[in-house]
Amino acid sequence: MRPIKKYLILTLVFGLGSILPTLQAQSDLQISKAFDQFGERKGVVMVELTDEMLNGYDFSLFKSLTIKDNPSAADFIRKCLLKDEVGAKKVKQVVTNGIATSIYLQLPRKGQFYRLILFNEVFKPEQ
Amino acid sequence: MIFKMKYKVSYAEADRLIEKYYDGLTTGTEEKQLQKFLMQSNLPDRFKPEQAIFGYFDHKKAKTHVSMLSYMRWTAVAAIVLLIAVGPQLFVSANQSNYAYIDGIKVSDMRQIKTQALASLVDISSSKDEVKESLKSINDTELIKQQLDVFSK
Repeated sequence: MRPIKKYLILTLVFGLGSILPTLQAQSDLQISKAFDQFGERKGVVMVELTDEMLNGYDFSLFKSLTIKDNPSAADFIRKCLLKDEVGAKKVKQVVTNGIATSIYLQLPRKGQFYRLILFNEVFKPEQ
Repeated sequence: MIFKMKYKVSYAEADRLIEKYYDGLTTGTEEKQLQKFLMQSNLPDRFKPEQAIFGYFDHKKAKTHVSMLSYMRWTAVAAIVLLIAVGPQLFVSANQSNYAYIDGIKVSDMRQIKTQALASLVDISSSKDEVKESLKSINDTELIKQQLDVFSK
């Protein structure tokens, strides 16, 4: 059974605000390029939820990108995260064989928003 | 008792003022006198160019009368134009704010979107506890923890 590598980025934005500033909360981040570039490709699942859908949760924005078996995409994401981690608090980083497989960043507060980025590389047996 | 004598500018005096005016040497009072003089009807033809000049200035100074109806009409037109231009964008962005793309196909069914969101959280489950722990350093920790719990259930 060949294991499948899955790469996941999760961006969470906390805070109250109207929908338009919330949607732009990720625009200054390099990671937004990963969402733009890979979000609509085959083998990728991208989810975006905002205020109306998260009503009652006090989340403002939830964005996730799950990419299957795409090492070049993973490299691109890691490069984006290297730029985004400037000024951010790196809460966690797991490095396996010299490659970051798990990264969790707390970004500086942007106005009323708290922003978090999670990146995880997981191995799953092929089904 | 105070009598006010009306001073009338003679043709010769007007010629002198006009010459002075073209030389840029007239005072404000002299210009007003000249303007008053040129506003008269039945002046000789030689004053027509100056009448045109001063008449133009006078026209510019005149208050423009804007009727309420016209103002409201223009406001309504501006509002409609604005609505047409900005409205669809707001509507589209609001609608596009909740979606999922699965293999390049856009999904707008809310249940399916939420299922995908939860599936992505399962994949990141190993990080979840650390996220919760580290969130202690952020204000509103309790609130954020609750939110993460909601999503991880």
